[in-house]
Amino acid sequence: MNTLIQFKNIVKDFDGQLVLKGVNLDIYENEFVTLLGPSGCGKTTLLRILGGFLKQSEGQVIFDGQEISEVPPYKREVNTVFQKYALFPHMNVYENIAFGLQIKKMSKDVIEQKVMKMLKLIGLEGYEQKNVNVLSGGQQQRIAIARALINEPKVLLLDEPLAALDLKLRKEMQYELKKIQQEVGITFLYVTHDQEEALTMSDKIVVMKDGEIQQVGTPIDIYNEPENRYVANFIGESNIVSAIMVDDYKVCFDDLLFTCVDYGFKKNEKVDVVIRPEDLDIVEVQDGKLTGVVKSVLFKGVHYEIMVETVPGTTVTVMMNVTREHDIVNEEAGEKMSANDFYVDIEDVKDLNDAEIIARADAQAWNPESDEYISISKIEYDILEEVGTYPVEFMTSSGTSVTINVMVVQQQYVENPKANEAISAFNFFKTVDELKESTAIDTDLKTWANAQGWKLSDESIVEIESVEYDFDPETIQVGTYKVTFSTQGRQFKIHTTDVSEVGKEVGLSFYPEDIHVMSKKGY
Amino acid sequence: MKVFRRLAYPYILWMSIMIVIPMLLIILYAFSKEGNDVATLSFTFAHFIKFFTDPAFLNTLWLSLRIALITTIFCIFIGYPIAYAIAQSSIKKRTFYILLITLPMWINMLVRTYAWIGILSDNGLINQILSFFHLPTTQLLYTDFAVILGMIYNFLPFMILQIYSSLAKMDKSLLEAANDLGANRWQRFLKITLPLSLPGVISGITLVFLPSVSSFVIPKLLGGGGYLLIGNIIETQFITVGEWNFGSAISMIMAMIIMLSMYVTRKFDKRNTGNKRGDLS
Repeated sequence: MNTLIQFKNIVKDFDGQLVLKGVNLDIYENEFVTLLGPSGCGKTTLLRILGGFLKQSEGQVIFDGQEISEVPPYKREVNTVFQKYALFPHMNVYENIAFGLQIKKMSKDVIEQKVMKMLKLIGLEGYEQKNVNVLSGGQQQRIAIARALINEPKVLLLDEPLAALDLKLRKEMQYELKKIQQEVGITFLYVTHDQEEALTMSDKIVVMKDGEIQQVGTPIDIYNEPENRYVANFIGESNIVSAIMVDDYKVCFDDLLFTCVDYGFKKNEKVDVVIRPEDLDIVEVQDGKLTGVVKSVLFKGVHYEIMVETVPGTTVTVMMNVTREHDIVNEEAGEKMSANDFYVDIEDVKDLNDAEIIARADAQAWNPESDEYISISKIEYDILEEVGTYPVEFMTSSGTSVTINVMVVQQQYVENPKANEAISAFNFFKTVDELKESTAIDTDLKTWANAQGWKLSDESIVEIESVEYDFDPETIQVGTYKVTFSTQGRQFKIHTTDVSEVGKEVGLSFYPEDIHVMSKKGY
Repeated sequence: MKVFRRLAYPYILWMSIMIVIPMLLIILYAFSKEGNDVATLSFTFAHFIKFFTDPAFLNTLWLSLRIALITTIFCIFIGYPIAYAIAQSSIKKRTFYILLITLPMWINMLVRTYAWIGILSDNGLINQILSFFHLPTTQLLYTDFAVILGMIYNFLPFMILQIYSSLAKMDKSLLEAANDLGANRWQRFLKITLPLSLPGVISGITLVFLPSVSSFVIPKLLGGGGYLLIGNIIETQFITVGEWNFGSAISMIMAMIIMLSMYVTRKFDKRNTGNKRGDLS
């Protein structure tokens, strides 16, 4: 196959904003190439540069051995099918398709022959006299394709041509387009954000992100051997797990060692592992390479989507002391005041200042008549970096004061090396009213307990997935309650035709070649 | 819905009083004899016969139509390139240019036309410049040229705005498609831009031709006292001569001519922008 188009280090910026960051890409004759990526990844920009509607800021476009950056669009041997078809509304079907040939001043009978041939190719014979404005989206689409193809371009550029069609028509047109491409035997350069479209039609897929090419390959390559986490996520569904490449053919995740078919990484290099949901099988516990508990079963039509938790999340339980209303009333000044006791980690004592203490104690003063807040003018405390209980007094300018206790403690946290994470939370004090007034109780409990989760390896934040408690905030009484915070465990998504039950303990089995190891580079 | 319909009643009443009744009165006057009151009405074609048998009136009508036609043609050829240039410029500049085009319309038409007298008169700006360079001065004011110039000046913005709006709303991807299919700038203009902007040109023609054919202020000021267009004759019949019935008849004839010309342009418009051969489905 001969190289037809070469993009050499294409850079494009719009007012200083980089849209393409040095794209290198070769496109061969007769290929169906798809530029795939989310909106804003630069795929349409690249297409428009080839069409001649935009000029690159840097780099070269070589077309058929010639640099074409200075060639205007009407002299390029490419034609475009525009996203919204851009059919000429003042011309009928015949005139639209014949447009390019009429510009070339071909003789009438040649034009007629060619138009008829095109109408046959797109299956719209007998439509030549129709007004293009009254045709359906699918028919307009075909006419746009015919209008471009009749000029016998070397490359047909298609800019999300199926985006405006409904699902069924889109699928039909996918086959149709592939058929047309094989029949006319020219290169198609197709832009889409739909991974399924790309997988169905392409000979070659170019996955793009933020103006850079992530991977170029056949649909099978891209699906089975994604180069990084981004590509794996974008194409198809996947389980992506952080792992360590212990040695060639040996990868470690979930504290277990697995045999795989990948090699060439550094010893103990941190990598990402992808296992496709359809490559995992649910087996008996004793036969599984991994074991876990079924968390959910969803019926998806052809298959079930089953989530299995192999590593439970990390959990920490704290005590919530619910107290009575403890507003201090100062009749003379007409003021009310309140504040809560609170716990603080010994390491955080040095960060305490007036504002921090007011916030943590939730200290407030207000006028009960007008409900207006009154500022706290003075705080007295002497908190040492030692475990113990210290009094703190808050005062307003009119002499109302409230005293609370601050408990300096050694922070308790739960480590979970298997899941590479840790979680911590504090006991806390709240009044009945504060609980009753809470509108988002889970979020408030997290804030009040200062619950946090983090990765042991790099201290990045781990989301607290669930908050459990056994009280009803509407009817809560004074007392002490347990609140449990936990992170989400490691879950694997499995596509299988066999149903399973939620809560059942199962094994997961897979083959070494189902494990695909990807470099973490850049991600 | 009924409540909303009731809201339209005052408007309908207003329209009847201010538009329909005066028009009916004009028709009534046009077909009735001089000096009649409504009680003793007698029907006649005399005013129409008078108009169509007097060559002086017919010549004036012909002159009016000719002047209006020339004005319209000039407005198209001056207005189109200006509208095109505005539509091509950046969005920020567009607003500014449109402001420039509409700015003169904020000033009373009479005042603007008077200004032209100052420019065109024998001792006016143009002749002074000519004599400064020792060139022969020339009579500019009170000629066909002055009248047409005044009309172009007054009515050009309508043409520009109409063409501009049809150019501005044109889908830019159509132009890219034409380029893509091998059309250069000129071919693209002839085959895509021009046909798609014709509706704007047509409504521009309507907006320029109609006021210029019936204008009486501009010919009076720039053409001089003896310069008569059909609008001036109607004005004279009503205000100076006091022959309301004859004036009404001429007004009706004008209205018929205008309606006819509108009908013709609309037809032309449809043939060009609709589908020529299609519309089968």
